[in-house]
Amino acid sequence: MIDLLMVFAGGLLGSSHCVGMCGGFALALGSTSRGSLHNLARQVLYGLGRVFTYTVGGIAAGYGGWRITQEFRAIENLQAILSISAGVLLIVQGLIAAGLFRRLAPGKSHHGCAGASMFGTLLRETRMRNVFLAGLVNGLLPCGLVYAYLALAASSGGLWMGGLIMAAFGLGTLPVMTLVGWSGYTLSTIARMRVLRLAAWCVVLAGIMSVTRGLGALHA
Amino acid sequence: MSVGAAGTCDYCGLPVPLPLWRSAPVAAAPQFCCYGCRFAAAVTHSKGPEGAVTGLLARLGLAIFLTMNVMVFSMALWSEDFYGADSIAAPAWIGSLRGVFRYLSLIFSLPVLLILGGPLLEEAWHAVRRGRMTTDLLLVIGIAASYVYSAIAVVRDMDPVYFEVGCMVLVLVTLGRWLEAHGKLRTTAAIESLDALLPKQARVLHDGHEERVPLHVVTPGDAVLVLPGERIPCDGVIVRDRASIDEQVLTGESQPVSKSLGDLVWGGTLALDGGIVLEAGSRPSEGALARLIEHVREATLAKGHFERLADRITSWFLPTVVLIAFGAFLWHATYHGIDRGILVGLAVLLIACPCALGLATPMAVWAALGHAARSQVLFRSGEALERLATIRAVRFDKTGTLTTGAPAVASFVAGIHEDGEIVLSRALALANVSNHTYGRAIAEFAEAGSPNRSTVAGIQYVPGCGMHAHHVEDGATLYLGNPGWLQQKYLACPRELAEAIEQARNEGQALCCVGWGERIRGVFALHEQIRPEARTALLQLQGMGLDLAVLTGDHATRGQALAAELGVPVQAELMPEDKVAAVERARHEIGPVAMVGDGINDAPALARSDVGIALGCGADVTRDAASVCLLGNDLTHLAWAMALARQTVRVIRGNLFWAFAYNVIGIGIACSGRLNPVVASLAMVLSSGFVVANSVRLAGASHSQDVSPLAPLSLVEAQEAVP
Repeated sequence: MIDLLMVFAGGLLGSSHCVGMCGGFALALGSTSRGSLHNLARQVLYGLGRVFTYTVGGIAAGYGGWRITQEFRAIENLQAILSISAGVLLIVQGLIAAGLFRRLAPGKSHHGCAGASMFGTLLRETRMRNVFLAGLVNGLLPCGLVYAYLALAASSGGLWMGGLIMAAFGLGTLPVMTLVGWSGYTLSTIARMRVLRLAAWCVVLAGIMSVTRGLGALHA
Repeated sequence: MSVGAAGTCDYCGLPVPLPLWRSAPVAAAPQFCCYGCRFAAAVTHSKGPEGAVTGLLARLGLAIFLTMNVMVFSMALWSEDFYGADSIAAPAWIGSLRGVFRYLSLIFSLPVLLILGGPLLEEAWHAVRRGRMTTDLLLVIGIAASYVYSAIAVVRDMDPVYFEVGCMVLVLVTLGRWLEAHGKLRTTAAIESLDALLPKQARVLHDGHEERVPLHVVTPGDAVLVLPGERIPCDGVIVRDRASIDEQVLTGESQPVSKSLGDLVWGGTLALDGGIVLEAGSRPSEGALARLIEHVREATLAKGHFERLADRITSWFLPTVVLIAFGAFLWHATYHGIDRGILVGLAVLLIACPCALGLATPMAVWAALGHAARSQVLFRSGEALERLATIRAVRFDKTGTLTTGAPAVASFVAGIHEDGEIVLSRALALANVSNHTYGRAIAEFAEAGSPNRSTVAGIQYVPGCGMHAHHVEDGATLYLGNPGWLQQKYLACPRELAEAIEQARNEGQALCCVGWGERIRGVFALHEQIRPEARTALLQLQGMGLDLAVLTGDHATRGQALAAELGVPVQAELMPEDKVAAVERARHEIGPVAMVGDGINDAPALARSDVGIALGCGADVTRDAASVCLLGNDLTHLAWAMALARQTVRVIRGNLFWAFAYNVIGIGIACSGRLNPVVASLAMVLSSGFVVANSVRLAGASHSQDVSPLAPLSLVEAQEAVP
């Protein structure tokens, strides 16, 4: 349970990273709303759509990880290895986001593909159910941070645990994203950079913890 | 999206495959070339005035949502199946939920089947009505069969269930087709961007005050006002004011051209610094730009070698796949149960989908054609593109091709006993009706020096030699042309003129003589300018490993001077039939030959070569002898076009190989029963994605309103691709 709390915190702190990348979408969502409470409802629904996608991803990752450990029972410490790998991935993601490894940084914040057009259309939607769907699709957009946490979910050893981990992550990102989309409040570029850097180190911390957990579970 | 002409898809503008038993497409409501385009069109057209998304997109989102749920249920069932209720993966109460999950899967996947399977079924029906065979119908049957089987299994509480297979396959197939349609749209984007150059409205002047009208309302004779910075809406003649016009889109000339009263301007070009009023000469839909676009569209319809190959493969591939799928279904159903049979049959159908195969060639060709048109190179067909890639030798016509085609008269010498004015006036009479560049130069020169006008009748042109006509006043036959030809016609050459001819030859100048009454009366020495970029262009082509030579009717000394200047062998003193023979010889000795000329004076040689390339077509793209038209006069476009052609053929080969090999290997794996249908449909999406991405590369960077410079194509790459 303490683990889940840590993941939630990771999502909370990491959500400034989300604001940096996907804050524009949330703002676009708010642009066509009718009134403040309506916008709030839309933002929450949108966030829930994202959380739903993450949870399903977490379940799938958890299932995949569990199946791998079952198939390759003969390999000892597979669980631990998965934990360590997930941790390393998180650390790398965090360090990239913190500005190191500049060469590896993806460097683009818009994903030009057919999915983007579908996404854009849904974002301008007014009907509630389509807002949920917009959130759903947003969750499917490529994101290194999400992948890192998915790796963590895969190492959790079971599908429901995996789902819970991603749900915790998603819910952690919910408050800040909802707030940004609702209030239209955006950080200045410099402030955003600073917050992103802080968030990045939080992700690194989560990665370190996963690695230590894995190392601890290693049979000597 | 502009609505395509009859026989083209309403979404992507590409040709709709004709039905097997009809010679013309069914002229009905909007037609589409594939399910993806139909789907994509429904998505884009379903947007309401406030951007409200009705129907299809929301339904797809709903289907994805439901499928995700079904996946969760399935995974829960799998984990429980694997280890029973006491598995560490699931909490203890999962076991009791097993039945619930099965029924939930049943309920959630039914809408998916209806939402996504319904349109697929409709598409299959459309295809059947048009007499085309697709795997869509069988796909839907297979998916429905798996669903029915699973539903029965739930009711009878038997194992296992396969709801997730049907859902995921439907989602992936829909997304895959949409991806292809999107890719097709990207490949035709270049052509569409040409279309976008014509403004939507025009300012028509009625009695001095202007009225904004939609473009199609403009009729010939209307006075159209164009303000600085606007694109000209239609072809016409300037009747007021003057402007610098950027005609790059049609001629490739980056330098603006100054046009004033009485000059011809074309729709789609840009008026830079002045406002003009023009009298519309043709409807906007019939102007030069519209004709160019029409030619490109026609080019996409003409099937080249690779496309015919792909068609031949597809025609037997499809029935074979169906048989294999059936066979696999029967075999696995007999030995492993009907559920396995359904899954294996489905997997075979999915992995063998010839979508990638059918797209492999056309997409690459369309992308390249559009890109080329946007860069002022017009290919008449995909075949021209493919053949250009195989070229090993290039022969150039000299006049107008390597030279600027606007020679000037350097000197004029009349016979000692002649009246210069009379000679000039008779030369002028002939030159005025000449279609040769020398004639035009002489006309310009003689105009200044002769006030008298002569009239001629009975004009006859002898290609490569000159022209003759009857002088109306005194009935003499006047000749204007090569000194050699005039001497052949038994016109004597006075000594002083022979000297002038000798001197001109030594200086490497071109010659044109006028004569009548058995004597050459005057000699014009013409000074030609080699195009500034000619050397560079020839070097580029040599760098690509091509054998070059210039074919000219000029005298040998002139030929030698030219060879030294250009760095390329010159074959001189060729009559038109000699040029044709030279092209033939090159083909025998070296390989496929391209002939570059202006398409008018050397039409036979152009037609005889493997690829005829006409230069300086401008807005007149009707030079039929040439399969490639360079709209401008820039020779460096040649090397670019060659590189594009070679790159296109490389992409086509890559696509075909990939699509075919992929399919064959995939079928093998599927038949052995090792391929999950979901994995198969995912693989199909990836395969289509690869073909699309590979082909879109050829479309060049996305074009903005302004014409982009030639996309840099690696000539080194092109050289390695010589077949």
